[in-house]
Amino acid sequence: MRAVYWAGALLCALALAAAASGAGTSTPGVSPTEIVIGGTIPLTGVASSFRSVGLGASYYFKYVNAHGGVNHRKIRYIIKDDQYDPALTMDKTRELVEQDHVFAIFNSLGTEHNLATRPYLNAVGVPQLFVGSGGRTFGADYKQYKWTIGYQPNYLAEGTIYGREVAKTTPKASIAVLYQNDDYGNDLLAGLKHGLGKRAKQIVSKQSYNADDPEVRSQIARLKSSKANTLMIFATPQFAIQAYRFAYQLGWKPKVYVNVVASASNVMNLAVLASSKKEVEGSISIVFLKDPSDPRWAKDPGIKLYRAIMKRYKDKGTNVNDVYNVYGMSVAHTFVQALKKAGKSPTRASIMNAATHLTIKNDPFLLPGVVVRTTPNDHFPLDQARLERWHNGHWASFGGLFRVR
Amino acid sequence: MRRAAGIVLWLAAVAAALAVFLLLPHLVSDFHTRDLASAGAFFIAIVGLNLLTGYTGQISLGHGALMAIGGYTTAALVVHEHWRDVWTIPLAGLAAGIVGFVVGIPALRLSGLYLALATFAFAVAMPSLLKKFSGLTGGTQGLRFLESAPFQVTGLKGTVTVFGHTTTQNHFLYYLTWGIGLLGFAVAWLIVRGRFGRAFRAIRDSEAAAASSGVNLAAYKTLAFAISGVYAGVAGSLVAIQSEIVNPLSFTVLLSILIVVGAVVGGLGSLPGLVLGALFIQYLPSIAAHVSTRQGVPEFVYGAAIIVVIILLPGGAGGLLRRLAAPLTSRLYTRP
Repeated sequence: MRAVYWAGALLCALALAAAASGAGTSTPGVSPTEIVIGGTIPLTGVASSFRSVGLGASYYFKYVNAHGGVNHRKIRYIIKDDQYDPALTMDKTRELVEQDHVFAIFNSLGTEHNLATRPYLNAVGVPQLFVGSGGRTFGADYKQYKWTIGYQPNYLAEGTIYGREVAKTTPKASIAVLYQNDDYGNDLLAGLKHGLGKRAKQIVSKQSYNADDPEVRSQIARLKSSKANTLMIFATPQFAIQAYRFAYQLGWKPKVYVNVVASASNVMNLAVLASSKKEVEGSISIVFLKDPSDPRWAKDPGIKLYRAIMKRYKDKGTNVNDVYNVYGMSVAHTFVQALKKAGKSPTRASIMNAATHLTIKNDPFLLPGVVVRTTPNDHFPLDQARLERWHNGHWASFGGLFRVR
Repeated sequence: MRRAAGIVLWLAAVAAALAVFLLLPHLVSDFHTRDLASAGAFFIAIVGLNLLTGYTGQISLGHGALMAIGGYTTAALVVHEHWRDVWTIPLAGLAAGIVGFVVGIPALRLSGLYLALATFAFAVAMPSLLKKFSGLTGGTQGLRFLESAPFQVTGLKGTVTVFGHTTTQNHFLYYLTWGIGLLGFAVAWLIVRGRFGRAFRAIRDSEAAAASSGVNLAAYKTLAFAISGVYAGVAGSLVAIQSEIVNPLSFTVLLSILIVVGAVVGGLGSLPGLVLGALFIQYLPSIAAHVSTRQGVPEFVYGAAIIVVIILLPGGAGGLLRRLAAPLTSRLYTRP
């Protein structure tokens, strides 16, 4: 009988609700001396090769802070490790917003990961700036998600470029596609079909893998058995390297197109080590950044600045030739420009307004001619790229600058 | 007289526990209450596991998979059927209870390590099963409440109003989780004190003796699995509601092992220590990461901490509590 009372008491306790806590009126994360922003990066786990996207940005902020910051405010950029697990991204993002009281979420990496946090950030009105994903939705669906803006050229457009290039240069090609089974891979695949137009039926085989699969050996074997002569690798670095390796082991030598998220020179060099020079030679990708290992940029002021920043601020064990550092610096550069435009006392609304009124022609880390441009109706900051071909241990770009949509 | 003193002591303990439950959110930051809510979900799963392992002697390394059943039941109802998230909790418990019952059937023939292995296999297979039925489960990407059914999420904008009281979403989740947790705790307490509890303990101590005393082994073992499954399902459902997203990575083998660790640290075969077991598995990872984030260090600290706790507290936190309380209570209950 006593127990019944307990149960009753507990139920009463359940029904009790606590008073709401009051919220301040000042902009979170903005003090007279500091701007606090944060984002999630897979510092560990299957996609840890993307860690430089966050680290590169953090080095650039250190450089800016050492030169007086922005409007006398230093930028503090908190990176949380989400291990490339969207559920963790959600937890860590919430922690950044509710515990660290960041001004904005910046440069969080991954398509599924940003999709997971987007409704939350838009519900609470926290800017989700320069998403580290080429998912088209981050630029296209700004009417529904007004606090979100992307950064890099979108995957649909990238796929379209490859499709057009195949249709133009090898119209009789039979195509095999390896793609990640999520919005990122599906966007690239849809773009490829779009670019191929009526030749889309020349895609003779397509195989997907899951981001948490250990390897893609069986997928590559199935793709090879389709007797295709062209292979599209729409995969993250680890799986792209495996794709080269397993194709090589099976004695398959297709013409390879490799997506930009896996085409950093250091990744390609690993692919060469994992397979052979011949296997990787002639691979095609797109490029919008200056690759630090490309001898053409050795004397370029942008890459010189990049090397100076890396020398001064980089952590032990960071590879200077990793192009993702350059990406991180470019996106950080864009954030700094937006912050300058957002006024002396920036608010979440003013940074969003600034981020959607950008014209940055002098980003030192982007290819010459590439402009960061946004308008209230254009949430795709980067939409230009060039094709590049892997030759003798280096990328060489060819053709003109594409505008991709 | 002594009995009255015992009751007073009990009342004081329960009142103190209730006071902590009600006041704790006001002593820590709003965000922190969410971590506490997450510990609450662990607590529920651990209470369930303790009924099965601590009281009935049936080892399960598959409770993470039962939590997955609960979590995905909630997620599927919210995302596909547009149920309000909190109303799915009973169904999540029921679904996991049924699965728990089915998992319990092999336990009739397997015992000890073999049962541990069989349930472990269930936990290992669960993420792959979830990926297999991607139409229902969303495959690798899982199910995202906020994107697919934002209006079914309680507290989308950060506040929740219950019976006229407005509170933050984090506080709401805390009271919801620990409210259910304490209710579950009370139910477990009633179970172990009653006829079922005696039967469970008899099975744990000697199956032959239990059977010869008229305990129906098959019925009670599967019942223990089913009850334990209900707890795990409710816990999984709360995990899903708190994360607002489920994917196969949310319910890995590691989760199953964590629940066992929590039950062992909390004290198998006792209930009050389990709160500490839940807090242990909730906070140890971040404490371990505080020591150093160098590669391998958090894992090492984590493992070392578990070993130290098990060496120092062989009966878990529950054993420690018993030892601390012994001088107070031994005189109350021993008759001259």
